[in-house]
Amino acid sequence: MKKKRVAITGLGLVTPAGNDVASTWATLQSGRSMGAPITIFDASGFSTRIAAEVKGFDARAVIDDRRLLKFANRSHAFALAAADQALADAGVRPTPATSARWGLSVGTGMMGMAWDDLSSLGLAAADGEDVDPVRLQGSDTGRDPMVFCRAQTSAGLALLGRRYGIGGYSTSVHTACASGGQAVGTAMKLIRRGTVDFALAGGFDSMVNPVGLAGFCLLGAVSADNDAPSRASRPFDATRNGFVLGEGAGFVVLESWERAVARGARIYAEIAGDGNSLSSYRITDSHPSGDGPIQAMHWALADADATPQDVDYVNAHGTSTPMNDRSESAAMHAVFGSDVGRVSVSSTKSAMGHLIAAAGAVEAAVCALSIHHGVLPVNANYVHPDPDCMLNLVVGAARKQPVRVALSNSLGFGGSNSCLAFRHPDFDGGRT
Amino acid sequence: MNGRTPVVVTGLGAICGAGKSPASILDAILEGRSALAPIASWDVAHWPRPIAAEIADFNAAQLAGDRKLLKLIRRTDVVGLYAAGEAVKEAGFVAHREGLAAAAAAHFSERTGLYAGSGGGNYQNQYDYFPLIEQAAGALPAFGSELASMVNPMWLLKSLPNNVLCHVGIRFGIKGPNACITNHSVSGLLAIVEAAAGIVNGEADRAVAVGHDTPIEPQNVFYYHGAGLLARETLRPFDASRDGSLMGEGAGAMMVESEASARARGAAVLGRVLGAGHATESEGLLAIRDDGEGPARAIRAALAEAGVDERDVGMIVAHGNGTPASDASEALAILDVFGADAPPVTAFKWSIGHLIAAAGAIETVLALEALRRGVVPGIPVLDRIDPAFAALPVSRETRKPRSDVALVLSRGFGGTDGALLVRAA
Repeated sequence: MKKKRVAITGLGLVTPAGNDVASTWATLQSGRSMGAPITIFDASGFSTRIAAEVKGFDARAVIDDRRLLKFANRSHAFALAAADQALADAGVRPTPATSARWGLSVGTGMMGMAWDDLSSLGLAAADGEDVDPVRLQGSDTGRDPMVFCRAQTSAGLALLGRRYGIGGYSTSVHTACASGGQAVGTAMKLIRRGTVDFALAGGFDSMVNPVGLAGFCLLGAVSADNDAPSRASRPFDATRNGFVLGEGAGFVVLESWERAVARGARIYAEIAGDGNSLSSYRITDSHPSGDGPIQAMHWALADADATPQDVDYVNAHGTSTPMNDRSESAAMHAVFGSDVGRVSVSSTKSAMGHLIAAAGAVEAAVCALSIHHGVLPVNANYVHPDPDCMLNLVVGAARKQPVRVALSNSLGFGGSNSCLAFRHPDFDGGRT
Repeated sequence: MNGRTPVVVTGLGAICGAGKSPASILDAILEGRSALAPIASWDVAHWPRPIAAEIADFNAAQLAGDRKLLKLIRRTDVVGLYAAGEAVKEAGFVAHREGLAAAAAAHFSERTGLYAGSGGGNYQNQYDYFPLIEQAAGALPAFGSELASMVNPMWLLKSLPNNVLCHVGIRFGIKGPNACITNHSVSGLLAIVEAAAGIVNGEADRAVAVGHDTPIEPQNVFYYHGAGLLARETLRPFDASRDGSLMGEGAGAMMVESEASARARGAAVLGRVLGAGHATESEGLLAIRDDGEGPARAIRAALAEAGVDERDVGMIVAHGNGTPASDASEALAILDVFGADAPPVTAFKWSIGHLIAAAGAIETVLALEALRRGVVPGIPVLDRIDPAFAALPVSRETRKPRSDVALVLSRGFGGTDGALLVRAA
């Protein structure tokens, strides 16, 4: 069965590397890393006091809808800004006539109470590790309907749907760090199976807050290099010691190839393959052999009618944790075999930090940019080779190189592995 | 029928306040028993909306089948793990794989998918921080520095919305395509839709779909009440006097397979998933259109995908959450699509409560169980149908479906509407 081709025609980014596509892309080519002391809240007591924050973002300046912003938390505002950019970039948006043919697929972060609401509730109504139901009713947090609205997993979806008038299939997914990749892959499949003709797809997250950081500090998953924050995220380096928390949003506009061509749209890349596997090994890790990510990459390539020999670039998950980078390297060695040294690899988390539920969507946009410009972003901060992670990393400066096929890996806590495969619009290898 | 290739159902599992198997829950519904009762898990003496459908004899260790696992999962994961396990068991999945040689068994695991609809977590998991917040008197520096000594290091993992994927996957060695859908009350339905689509599109040969949620927490219930969504005493779908919804908790799960996979395993076919349709109303988080355009469009799309004529639909399991606005627009949608010729319409939430992210999954499981028995359960709490949609064929009494096809509807926050068509074997 011939698969319907799906084009990427619009991109939008709000990341620690820049508040739009152009500035983010420039930073990713520069080799700079945006890890820095946390300024959003007082992190002085935490074991990790660094993160990659979105800087200089003024939601009201970029989103002309105050009423909508009232319902938005920090990550929702990032989402609205990035989605606005993506739709403007694509030059197409839902109209009353096309609304029902537009889908929306988003990777949403873990939702809950923000720190101020949680601490206020704790002081007003805690009963040990529980809430006192009577005091709850009198508490500010209990009486604030906005806490309820912002805590809904579908809150971001609802804001995006309302802003753009999207009338077709809408879904919010969460597979931890794989969320963004799975959301974009889902959108591709919705177009392929004819459920929609266009899709707005992306991810958004901000765990740079006391509760979010606390969870990762407790697990020992974040780097505690508080004295050298811009060196802390160093994927595949032998001295890596944890990830740097990032935040932001990435969105893409996808549409059926025929429609994109017919309207003369600029096609950044074809999103051609989605590979999803479950490691079913441990909650936080894949097997050291790469089992799990290996299948995701194989399936994404098969779905894209491509072979490992067609791949010129892998945007790695590359979190900079000891276990992830080792297992992911093993997976790349298994997939590419003796060809592994030919394939350029970088983890842009070295520059932006780990955007958690947004990561896969942001990195999908990075792959589209790499194909479009023929330029590969830098794996920043790489100094000490790790014998377990011997890869052809893009170090020092961005690499000018045409890309036929690019892969983007996103591997989540809980064992979900997402691999997306992107083809250059003109590459016809593997297809007759 | 000339729609897309049907996907077969080979295992079912369910748990909620009304029972711990599809059969026992449907028995309760047919006998007119409701699990809605005063909430027992906290003192509701001074509580504005004290009714919900709790799982009364909740033995987490027994349901999860692993006491040690309870350190890593929450109540919502326990019910998900239980229902998925029941569906896997009925499908004979593990026994079949054990009979395969190593390479074939590995291939079998990789060709098995897992799709969860998850509530994503409500508020209670964050209360683990309360003792620390009290000790730190709300000051962040003290909160940060005492963190490691006062909070479970596994807190984040315990709170993951995708824990059911993780632990069902590990327990049953499922390694194929997967998704965790956190899309409010359509999550459970979408888990089935995506599992079936994965099989139709050749990504997997079989998959477990599970929807799970345990939304009966004080803070969550209080917010739903504040939003005007909860009934005082009784959830009366489509009744003129309906005044809101009431919460339930639990999970529904099914094993879906390609015909070829089921045949190769010699698995008994319990039903079929025929097709689905979707719409989003995009009016905001809580607002919906009053004309039913969304659900009507979703139903039409499902009929088209399944290749089923509206006259061939045997019964409708409505979302029927009991709120004035949702039931009215849903009724209008059904009447718009089916006209004067609508099949018997029923709803289950009057008995099991609204299971939010699990609703569409458990209600599809129960629809298949009802089709299998050839019954459309009545809604015994129905006193007088709302005259605004008097033609809607709802009844207090048990009726017969007019065919072996059921339409299941789900609606969620954000104005998302889903319609799913299933057929008995």
